[in-house]
Amino acid sequence: MSDLDDIFLDADDFNSCLPLKKVPYGDVFEASRAGDVDRLKYLLESGVNVNARDQWDSVALYYACLAGHLDAARMLLESGAICSEHTFDGDRCHYAALNLKVRKLLKAFEARPPPLGPLQAALRDTFLACWANRSFLEQSEGQVPISGNSENGGSSPSHFPPDVVFYVQGRPIEAHRVILTARSPFFKKKFQTEWKDRKEVRFSREKLSYHALYSLIHFFYSDRLDIAVDDMEDLVRICKVCKCRSLQKVLEKELIHQKYAEYKALRDVDNSQKRFILQGISLPEDDRLPNALHKILQIALVNSNREQNLKLDVDGLICLVSSMQISEFEEDHADVCVRVDKKIFRCHQVVLASRSEYFKARLSRMKDFLEGRGCLPDNALPCIEEHDLTVGAFEKMIEYMYTDGLKDIDPDQAEEMFDAASRYLLFPLKRVVADALLPHLEMVSPAELCHWLVLSDMYGVIKIREYCLDAMACNFETFADTQEFRAMLLTLPPPSGDSSLRTTAPSAPGAEMSTAEGNVLDDLREKWLEAEAAELDERDESALLFDKRLEMLMHIAEQERANGLECNESGEQEPI
Amino acid sequence: MSAQKKRNFQIEAFKHRVVVDPKYAEKTWKILEHAIHEIYNHNASGLSFEELYRNAYNMVLHKFGEKLYSGLVSTMTSHLKEIANSIETAQGGLFLEELNRKWAEHNKALQMIRDILMYMDRTFIPSTHKTPVHELGLNLWRDHIIHSIKIHKRLQETLLELVQHERTGEVINRGLMRNVTKMLMDLGSSVYQEDFEKPFLDVSSDFYRLESQQFIECCDCGDYLKKAEKRLNEEIERVSHYLDTKSEPKLTNVVEKEMIESHMHRLVHMENSGLVNMIVNDKYEDLGRMYNLFRRVSTGLLLIRDVMTSHIREIGKQLVTDPERLKDPVDFVQRLLDEKDKHDKIISSAFNNDKTFQNALNSSFEYFINLNPRSPEFISLFVDDKLRKGLKGVTEEDVEIVLDKVMMLFRYLQEKDVFEKYYKQHLAKRLLSGKTVSDDAERSLIVKLKTECGYQFTSKLEGMFTDMKTSQDTMQGFHAAVGAEIAEGPSLTVQVLTTGSWPTQSVNTCNLPSEILGVCDKFKTYYLGTHTGRRLSWQTNMGTADLKATFGKGQKHELNVSTYQMCILMLFNNADRLSYKEIEQATEIPASDLKRCLQSLACVKGKNVLRKEPMSKDIAEDDAFYFNDKFSSKFYKVKIGTVVAQKESEPEKQETRQRVEEDRKPQIEAAIVRIMKSRRVLDHNNVVAEVTKQLQSRFLPNPVVIKKRIESLIEREFLERDKTDRKLYRYLA
Repeated sequence: MSDLDDIFLDADDFNSCLPLKKVPYGDVFEASRAGDVDRLKYLLESGVNVNARDQWDSVALYYACLAGHLDAARMLLESGAICSEHTFDGDRCHYAALNLKVRKLLKAFEARPPPLGPLQAALRDTFLACWANRSFLEQSEGQVPISGNSENGGSSPSHFPPDVVFYVQGRPIEAHRVILTARSPFFKKKFQTEWKDRKEVRFSREKLSYHALYSLIHFFYSDRLDIAVDDMEDLVRICKVCKCRSLQKVLEKELIHQKYAEYKALRDVDNSQKRFILQGISLPEDDRLPNALHKILQIALVNSNREQNLKLDVDGLICLVSSMQISEFEEDHADVCVRVDKKIFRCHQVVLASRSEYFKARLSRMKDFLEGRGCLPDNALPCIEEHDLTVGAFEKMIEYMYTDGLKDIDPDQAEEMFDAASRYLLFPLKRVVADALLPHLEMVSPAELCHWLVLSDMYGVIKIREYCLDAMACNFETFADTQEFRAMLLTLPPPSGDSSLRTTAPSAPGAEMSTAEGNVLDDLREKWLEAEAAELDERDESALLFDKRLEMLMHIAEQERANGLECNESGEQEPI
Repeated sequence: MSAQKKRNFQIEAFKHRVVVDPKYAEKTWKILEHAIHEIYNHNASGLSFEELYRNAYNMVLHKFGEKLYSGLVSTMTSHLKEIANSIETAQGGLFLEELNRKWAEHNKALQMIRDILMYMDRTFIPSTHKTPVHELGLNLWRDHIIHSIKIHKRLQETLLELVQHERTGEVINRGLMRNVTKMLMDLGSSVYQEDFEKPFLDVSSDFYRLESQQFIECCDCGDYLKKAEKRLNEEIERVSHYLDTKSEPKLTNVVEKEMIESHMHRLVHMENSGLVNMIVNDKYEDLGRMYNLFRRVSTGLLLIRDVMTSHIREIGKQLVTDPERLKDPVDFVQRLLDEKDKHDKIISSAFNNDKTFQNALNSSFEYFINLNPRSPEFISLFVDDKLRKGLKGVTEEDVEIVLDKVMMLFRYLQEKDVFEKYYKQHLAKRLLSGKTVSDDAERSLIVKLKTECGYQFTSKLEGMFTDMKTSQDTMQGFHAAVGAEIAEGPSLTVQVLTTGSWPTQSVNTCNLPSEILGVCDKFKTYYLGTHTGRRLSWQTNMGTADLKATFGKGQKHELNVSTYQMCILMLFNNADRLSYKEIEQATEIPASDLKRCLQSLACVKGKNVLRKEPMSKDIAEDDAFYFNDKFSSKFYKVKIGTVVAQKESEPEKQETRQRVEEDRKPQIEAAIVRIMKSRRVLDHNNVVAEVTKQLQSRFLPNPVVIKKRIESLIEREFLERDKTDRKLYRYLA
């Protein structure tokens, strides 16, 4: 981020060189050309591909640069538009930049790769953490590989062991079967037949380029293709074999571009430096990583269910039958079973470990703890058991782990999902659940909002917490009348006496605490002050007023609780 | 969304039911504490990871993070105290092993604890700014084990002792050492530096100070260096085996300082084995070792270079000023070359072809070669010798090598114009007498001179070659035109030399015999007929002739003589006895030349075609000469050389010197004028400096001479003195 802040753009820099106009119905290209930031924002949020090309083979960033719309360009870049000078599109943007400011902006973004989704980033890390793959990366960056870390095996925290190694032109690439199976029909077939039990595969064909295959496998993991232009033809050939049709199509089209862009080769002599970067979002949705993993997950779930039924039906003959069954059901390459509340899920270690540190530690620690001892008899897969978790929540969670998204979620499940997300260290999941939950909160009772506030504070779901606090601050009187609200006050830690939070005096630098860990009541007071829009110089008094108010409410609550306890003792009747 | 469903709603979250139990935290912590104990006791396989993690997670979630964390600290601390006890009680050599074993165990346990407390590590610790679990474990280990009073000192001493053992040649357990030092590094580089590296360096320093003192007392320079090198390599190896790589520069620094820097001067000047001795005896290996070791010390190379330079200057000075050596110029130059070769080889094989050393060598040579004013002459004589006979049967490459070496010496010369003068003379002699062995070699040398000193320097030399070529063509034309007429007479070969290109010689024509004169006149008319407006004058002092003579017993010989000698011998066609005076009158050869000719004709044994009365070595004015009837020789062809002084005699030298000085005058003047023309106004010192700079490639002008030239130019009104500042000169034009 810091390099972004470094480029100094004056406010008047954003006074565009061309008059801005509104294009309320325009597409992303029109919006970029017109500099209509609102429209552009809407389009980007709706998930349009920033790196798509229009009928003139231009990308949106190109138009923004050409017209000198700095803020539009910045918005596109922040959404992951490619601007590396080594690429066809990026080079064109640099070339077309209207003025130095635009160029500066492009330069500032050039060093940073566009952001990856959490799933892609996690799998990419797993891929790059494999020793052989990392050494490639280091070589290409001209660094000396650090030999010490290489032999740590599975116990190293940043490493999840691969289950297949390819040797191309004598150099190894490490990978995981399930990912390759998910992404390419060719690998899927091979892993079911010839390579079923093989740990390493040696390609002896001279023509197979290491760099191209590396780039492709990297793409399989990260949904981002980054390849030298020189290797692209090799990659097209490999795609043909691997039956990655849509990627192949895009590459073939790009090759034509590169051919026509040959005049640029004169300028930068070293053509191998020129690279082509492709974001997964440029491919049809069906061919992207989440979908591919989703398919695998479906298969695995079907298999899990089948096994479950089988087990219930014929408990004794399980070994025999399952071995027969395996050939019948579709291979899912599951390598671990997770038992949740009597149900067994077939899962993939690589996905679990990549997404969750908990599972990574758990899976690599199997030998050290009790879990390594007993294997369930139904098959050879290792089995781990998770307690305090419902089947439904686990299903949702693995859906998220595999696909980075949740189809639909029941607000009833939300709480449990928050718990699972915290427990399995899947912090982005909280956001997803929160997004799904927010619309429901608009029509819940104050009592329920109190419940959500407590929950969101506990699990650190900022979005929900903010929402609840806002609602309470704006409707403070309503809440003050609610018994649940008063009861809640008792469970919360008392407001802090930190004057810096309640006065207008600036707090000491570094003394701020992140909102997630802040005191709920302090934050509520702040919100209330904001909502009441008290004069600045009266803030302190208003805050005091609020504190007094709270104190009173708490007093009432305490009385109520005493009554409630009596009530509970006397009868089973629950009020409300 | 149906509000019905959630009607039965509780404030307490569904997890809160566990908190209802007031002893919840206590109970959960007991479970975790038990687990930590079990992990330390290697009983972890009885624990459920999932359960432990879940418990730790719930504790943090329900705000018992603080309890969990402090519990962890106290539990770990108590375990470490136990460990410290067991390490302390370990006996002698087992101490390190025990420490290492416990460290490995602690590490493993720490990782497992970190994993089960991962949720705390991720959420609670960053938000409360506490030390992460792993780091906490290391810090506790550091505080309770490494810094515990009983262990700290013992550990340090044990480590240093082991290193000391290894230095004295014992075998130690390097793996153990590596593990222990790695542990110190894992605890933080400051721990490693404070608790091990610093005392280690101190001990090393003491050790090597002592050892180097011992060595220098009992070893000669070469042996000492060998030992120092061995020690240095040992230390580097030690670092690679069990120390942090960052220690390497520090450690080598200590060795360098103690073993080399503090004894540097003594080593270099060591009697019978120091640097000079090594150079004299060509001990490349020792020299190379010295270079490599001294290079590590800041002033080491400077010292070597200084000593080497002064040594070379000393040797060279002896060489060029030794009067014995001056007798044989060829040998003199050969010695210089040998000296240069020797030192070149030392620099290339021992001193890594160090540029600064090469420069030092060059400047030393430049220094002492110019100590001897006759060096230019000698070098030219050396070339002359090589080109006359030395290059016979030698391949082209070898010729090139010899010439390159000569050029190298030439580069050292300050008075390049003196060399040119001599070279011109010697070249003229070679060309005219047809003594040149290889035309290619001659031309190659000229090209080299040209690249070195520019076109002007060699234009006259090249002119000489052109003259030789055109003369050949002229002779062919002459024979074709008048060949028939002169077929009977003696055959004539004329070389037409351009005045100015050749070394000027006073024209002392002698009377040629009439037979020759006729042919000469024919050539003269032919030449002037084809080239109008030219003047021909005969340089009889430079010619040669072949005579056919019949002696007393009828034996015939062909005599190869100079033109002067030919003139003398021709007189004896008509007389058997001639006195010196008669010969002088008849030929009009200058007296000194005549004497030399007669000497070679009459006094050299085996070549005495004349007989002299009285028989003495020297020629006197009243001697008489007879045709020697009894002359005999094994060969048909007899070459009668003139007795030539190879080296210039003293007066000749003076003359050459004068000519050189004379030639320099216009050059200096031209340089002054060039400079003043561009500068307009310049003060005296700057003029002198610039003139020196401009003429450096040819010679080193004397400031006094420059001053004289300036004065002469002022007289001729090229320059004037500034009216106010007498030191300033103005250019007038």
